[in-house]
Amino acid sequence: MTTDVNFDVAQSEVGGVPVLAVRGEVDVSTAPELRERLLALAEQGTTIAVVDLSQVSFVDSTALGVLVSGVKRLRTTGGDLRLVVTQPHIAKVFEITGLTEVFKIFASADEAVAG
Amino acid sequence: MTPQPSAVPDHQSQHERDCVELALPARPDLLFLVRMTAAAVASRADFGYDQIEDLRLAIDELSLAVCGEDPDEGRLQLLFKWTEDAIEVVGTYEPEETGRRPDISAVAQPASELSARILDALVDEHGTDVVGGCPRAWLRMRRRRPGQ
Repeated sequence: MTTDVNFDVAQSEVGGVPVLAVRGEVDVSTAPELRERLLALAEQGTTIAVVDLSQVSFVDSTALGVLVSGVKRLRTTGGDLRLVVTQPHIAKVFEITGLTEVFKIFASADEAVAG
Repeated sequence: MTPQPSAVPDHQSQHERDCVELALPARPDLLFLVRMTAAAVASRADFGYDQIEDLRLAIDELSLAVCGEDPDEGRLQLLFKWTEDAIEVVGTYEPEETGRRPDISAVAQPASELSARILDALVDEHGTDVVGGCPRAWLRMRRRRPGQ
């Protein structure tokens, strides 16, 4: 588990759907913790999950790779990984990498859960 | 505004004055220092907020390109240079003095697809090579004028 003071992941549930609220910078140092949390959800049999990136100030390609792995894993079991992105500079990273075509992106966790 | 670091001798050229060197252990948990330096340099070079964010991400990807995601002990050296129109950054990974050659697979092969897409979109030019057995990557970002 990372001890980075600029990063944490808090898990909650909205309407029975697990929501991982990520805060801080998600990079090669901190992305492994997010990967572990997503893997744990999949192993628990979760099908639909939400990753809330509204409090994230930075994502790089390693963070995107973790999210792509997560959505692939959940979709193989008929599920999905939905994202909450509210900050323009984070949304831009998904746009320039073409990942807006891969993920369903929402403005809030409530909207993501509703699908 | 053109930076004028007071500690630099007058006989140095403008090009030599407007540069910053950063050397640090190539540890993933220290990458934030690279991003902070990039942001400070871009701010000093009078780049706008959007380009500062772009450079922070581009530098992170450049560092991953030379160090890989799980580097052995070694040092990452970065040289930032800027002019009125552009910022250039060269990053080199230097291994510890173990006699072992560094893994240059990160630059011998194309960068990860996502990383390449990010760099293609954010900077004007970028590339990788190997110098003296050490992986090296570089980028150049031109200042965008309002409306660009």
